[in-house]
Amino acid sequence: MKARYFAIAMIVALAVVGCGKKESEQAPEQKPAAATPVDMATVGSVTGSVTLDGAPPKFKPINMSAEAYCAKAHSSPVMPQDVVTGDKGALANVIVYVKDGLGDRSFDVPKAPAVLDQKGCMYEPHVVALMAGQELQVVNGDQTTHNIHPMPKDNREWNKSQPPGAAPIEEIFARPEVAVPVKCNVHPWMKSYVGVFKNPYFFVTGKDGKFDLKNLPPGTYTLEAWQEKYGVVDQTVTIGPKESKSVSFVFKASSGD
Amino acid sequence: MPELPPDDPITSRSLAVPLLVSAFLLILTLGWALYQEDFGLRPWRSYQRRFGEAYSAYLQKAIAGQEAQEKAVYSSPEYLKLRSTAEDLEKAAKPSDAEIEKKIELLDKQRAAMTDAFQDARGRVGALIYDYEIVPESDKSTKQSRLEAVNKGMEKTYRIDWPASLTETKTEKFDYDRLNSAFTDILAKRAALVAQRGENDRPGKEARAKLADYVSQKLPGLPSSTLEGLLHASASIDIHIRQINVSPPGTSLNYLGGAGLVERCQSCHVGTDPQLVPLQMELTKADLGLAKNKDAPFASHPDPELLRIHSLGKFGCSPCHGGNGRAIDSVRRGHGRYEHWLWPLYYPENYDAGCQQCHAADMVTERAPVLNDGRQLFRQRGCIGCHRYQGFDNQDEQLVGNRQQITQLSDEKKQDELDIPRLQKAGDDAADNATAQKFYGQATNLTVRVSSIDAKVEQLELLSHSLQQEVKRVGPDLKDVRLKLRKEWIPYWLENTREFRPATKMPQFRFAPGEVQAIAAFIWQNALTGPALEKQKPGDPVKGKTLFESRGCMACHSMGEGANRVGGTFAANLSRIGEKENYDYLVRWVHNPRQRTRPYCAYEKRDLGPEDYAKHGLPFAFDLDHSRCPNDGHELVVHQPTVMPNLRLTIEEARDIASYLTGLKHPDAKYVSADFMDDSKLKAKGEELVKHYGCAGCHEIRGLEEEGRIGTELTNEGSKPIERLDFALYTQDAKHGVLPDGKASPRGPWYDSKGFFENKLSNPGLFELGKYHPNPMERLRMPKPNIQSKDELNALVTFLLGSVDPTLPPDYMYKPADQRHAIQEGWWIATKYNCIGCHQIGIGQRSVMMDLPQYQGENKINLPPALTSEGARVNPEWLKRFLANPALSATDLNRNGVRSYLQVRMPTFSLSDNEIRKLVLFFEAMSSQQQPFIPPKLEPLTDAERAMARGLFTSPAAPCLKCHATGNPAHDKNATAPNFLLARDRLRPAWTARWLTDPAKIIPGTAMPSGLFRREAGRWVFAGPMPPALQKYSGDHADLLVRYMFSLTPAEQSMLMGRTPAPSSSGGGNR
Repeated sequence: MKARYFAIAMIVALAVVGCGKKESEQAPEQKPAAATPVDMATVGSVTGSVTLDGAPPKFKPINMSAEAYCAKAHSSPVMPQDVVTGDKGALANVIVYVKDGLGDRSFDVPKAPAVLDQKGCMYEPHVVALMAGQELQVVNGDQTTHNIHPMPKDNREWNKSQPPGAAPIEEIFARPEVAVPVKCNVHPWMKSYVGVFKNPYFFVTGKDGKFDLKNLPPGTYTLEAWQEKYGVVDQTVTIGPKESKSVSFVFKASSGD
Repeated sequence: MPELPPDDPITSRSLAVPLLVSAFLLILTLGWALYQEDFGLRPWRSYQRRFGEAYSAYLQKAIAGQEAQEKAVYSSPEYLKLRSTAEDLEKAAKPSDAEIEKKIELLDKQRAAMTDAFQDARGRVGALIYDYEIVPESDKSTKQSRLEAVNKGMEKTYRIDWPASLTETKTEKFDYDRLNSAFTDILAKRAALVAQRGENDRPGKEARAKLADYVSQKLPGLPSSTLEGLLHASASIDIHIRQINVSPPGTSLNYLGGAGLVERCQSCHVGTDPQLVPLQMELTKADLGLAKNKDAPFASHPDPELLRIHSLGKFGCSPCHGGNGRAIDSVRRGHGRYEHWLWPLYYPENYDAGCQQCHAADMVTERAPVLNDGRQLFRQRGCIGCHRYQGFDNQDEQLVGNRQQITQLSDEKKQDELDIPRLQKAGDDAADNATAQKFYGQATNLTVRVSSIDAKVEQLELLSHSLQQEVKRVGPDLKDVRLKLRKEWIPYWLENTREFRPATKMPQFRFAPGEVQAIAAFIWQNALTGPALEKQKPGDPVKGKTLFESRGCMACHSMGEGANRVGGTFAANLSRIGEKENYDYLVRWVHNPRQRTRPYCAYEKRDLGPEDYAKHGLPFAFDLDHSRCPNDGHELVVHQPTVMPNLRLTIEEARDIASYLTGLKHPDAKYVSADFMDDSKLKAKGEELVKHYGCAGCHEIRGLEEEGRIGTELTNEGSKPIERLDFALYTQDAKHGVLPDGKASPRGPWYDSKGFFENKLSNPGLFELGKYHPNPMERLRMPKPNIQSKDELNALVTFLLGSVDPTLPPDYMYKPADQRHAIQEGWWIATKYNCIGCHQIGIGQRSVMMDLPQYQGENKINLPPALTSEGARVNPEWLKRFLANPALSATDLNRNGVRSYLQVRMPTFSLSDNEIRKLVLFFEAMSSQQQPFIPPKLEPLTDAERAMARGLFTSPAAPCLKCHATGNPAHDKNATAPNFLLARDRLRPAWTARWLTDPAKIIPGTAMPSGLFRREAGRWVFAGPMPPALQKYSGDHADLLVRYMFSLTPAEQSMLMGRTPAPSSSGGGNR
């Protein structure tokens, strides 16, 4: 009996020691670095467009028959959104962002959340971009239960279910990552991407393929365009004070196939 | 020159006298030494000499008798006939045997002739082949030349003087191939010849074996030739120290670290030496003509079977019997009867004590009835309530350990849950992705760890559930006393325990004045006051009496005191129950003894009430299936910790029995009022006393649920040094053999463990007499156990004497790994719930019921079934279900699942899963059944066979359905055997076939008739008049019926019912 108590006491003692150690290992509380001020008098911008060189691949419409509610929500067939093009090869759902050139600058994280809605069993928008630490608000606009399952490389993975009418899910991604795929395991066709950046210079193209990176301080930057199927293309651009430059990105249709 | 002194001692005195005296003394000393050498220090010499004489005389007589018998047998015509047959057959086989012998001889000669050459050739060729093999393939030329060398080597010839026949030899040339084939040829031929000779001799050998069988049957004892040998050995007995020496296991021959066991007992107890008295022979003192001699330790062991199990060479004598096996200089020392020898020889009445050392894990040890009684008394009389004993029910201790583990795991989980967000934050803030992933990984691992803690806690809670079910207390729950008892009865009972119930388990305490009042007040004031009991309508006491006597209550409970006592001693005598118990409570108890007033939560350390359940919107309902605390989800105590099972009576039946019981009172019973019990000032003192006397060891008491055992642990009490047993003022008396009553002890001094245990158990206050205790709380607390007879006292003393710290190596301990382990474990449960009160489980064992007056003569048929073959009879899967729910129904509970026709009821014991598992394994092991059971595949019936089986089933000569129940109430009113529909799930086909053909062999006295089938040409054939179709059937009739029974459906049965006579039409049949 005595031996047993002793053993228990030892275990408790070890546990306490172990936990203590864990605490001491932990990184000291890091205060977010104060934002480096940007002189608004000298800022310029980079605009441009993204196009696809070649014919986009052909897709079969999504079969939503597994869930009657989803199928009913659409009057016309829904196409997968891996490659969405507009007129003259304009490429949508491309994130254009400043990859390099800002040095040690740091930026305030926007207070307003980025929103990812689930409508008709599709994510809207298909591609979301936000800053590391910025809140992502996931809304369920459907009358069915979804689960939101980001599968990041650098960030923390999570997977939460969201019944109809449930409160929005609010999460942050702490680390820059282009881009985190998001899935709904209940409705396997549902796919979205979340680009996470440490600066506010990013833009998700629409059907017109246009982008506009505003308020860039003068400097030389590496810009990168990311597309979920075709990967990344980058370019270097230098802007002077109050200068506005135009850049265009072209993805080769065959490159991703 | 100096003058000489007048009396020069050298010249004037002679030393003759002192020298003479010295010489005498020396001679005397020499004589004494010689005497000691031969007799004094070596008493075994004279024992062996005397044994040799007596044994020789016995053997001479025995030889004479044996020779006369042998002569008679050897000259009997049967013997002569058998012998001449054998001799004739042997003679007939001789010529051909001789021929075969000759052939074998020739072959052996040939083999001898060629052996040298063959070995040489084989060696040579083997070496050449090796030389060839080691050359690499690339070196083609060498390879080729070596191959040629091999071929050449094989061609080499040897000249051998080859025996062509037994007489002539020819010189012949043998090359390697010829040698090889000749050798295998010789071997094959020789083997064939040997087999041929065996075949040739077989008839003769068989006749010899028959002759030997005949002789051993007619002459059971040892043959006179063996006796002659023994006589020779005993007449010229070799007087020496006869020693058994067992080296510790695993030591080498040269080990010098001391032997494991050295035994010289046989030096005096010569009759136990198997060299002189073989185990087949039993030798008593009377055989030696020494029946009245008190100093003739010559008998052989009276139970040779025990020696067969425990071989003398391994065990010797003293491990079982006690004593000092090495001492041979005196009887007293050899028997270890001196002050500092811890293991004196056991007296005959305590022989079983010797089993306990190795059989400590047994509850029931075969061939040790006294020890078994002792263990049962120790457990059932409540010694276990105060004294811990390793291996005895310690579920309460396990539960406490379990709870501590759960609490500790919950703390760990809390800590981990705090750590997870910290690690995640550290990951978010990390400088690079690799570090971040490390922290994220740790957080994830910790999450998984938390979930594995949950799994562990879940398992521990399940185990708690099982353990909680197994925890039983010896005495009743004292939380219920206000709901249950007449108030004034409590102080009366405490003071006059044995007057009220002479055979009670409750020991008699030695209370100081005022203590009874304080204890009674505490118990009363501390008890639960509600929720109130349901008010019960009165029942019919006459019906109640009938039910009490027929449902099986009396297997455990008795009625009437002293000589009039009838019934079992396992539970309370109920002769005066009406004086103490409240009717409403008794109805609840009889209806379901396990029902609690309030569930107890061991984590909150209190009894929960309706308010706790209401807080969570739950009804105040709790049972084994709803045993989690509404507040924190932990396992609750939802049952009364009693072994009394639920008899599944209707509430009306419970009222009838309770009405009968409440009427049972002593005519002169009077109780004085006890208002002091409400005096709140007494409560605190009462609580202190209740703790002091250890009441919570046997009773559940509010606030004292976790009180430990207050007494000494007794696991090794038998090897406690004598100084640590406090004889107090009786120490001198004990040493001088004066008994406490002043008389002389017939066995002399009793300053030993046995003396202490006997006196302590008979009168625990004895060793306190005359002692001065300024603080009354320092007095000895042990109450006087209610020991009913000398046998009971002796059984307990035997058990304690045997409870020693083992001195034998661990591999001597009886911890079998095979089926015997299941038997060992099962007995703990079978005795815990008194299964043996109703059932016969072991062969030869009697149940309590078998001796009750209501089950004598033709009423034997109403007894519960014997379970001697249960493991072979039933399917273990079914048995599991049955033990969990003997009604075999989820809704229709007021019945027996199998024997619906019996009045006596198989109750629901609410056994834990663990107990059910152990019991099922126990029954299977008792019947030597393989584990796990795989039901054999039965050949499906053909249509013709089904028709035949139907015919046989309903045949007037085999009216199976007359006795066996069918589920039809009109029919079953007179049924006396189970429904056949149960057979498929319940029975094992092989047992069923054995049962059909000879049930009396399995359960003597069964109502099922034997002789329904007769053996005919290797199959069972129905013994009565057969339907014509069956007469032509060449299969086994019993097997046919078994297959039919195992395929029986309700539809088939009701169809049969249409064809069979109703049981009420007495015996006429439908002819």
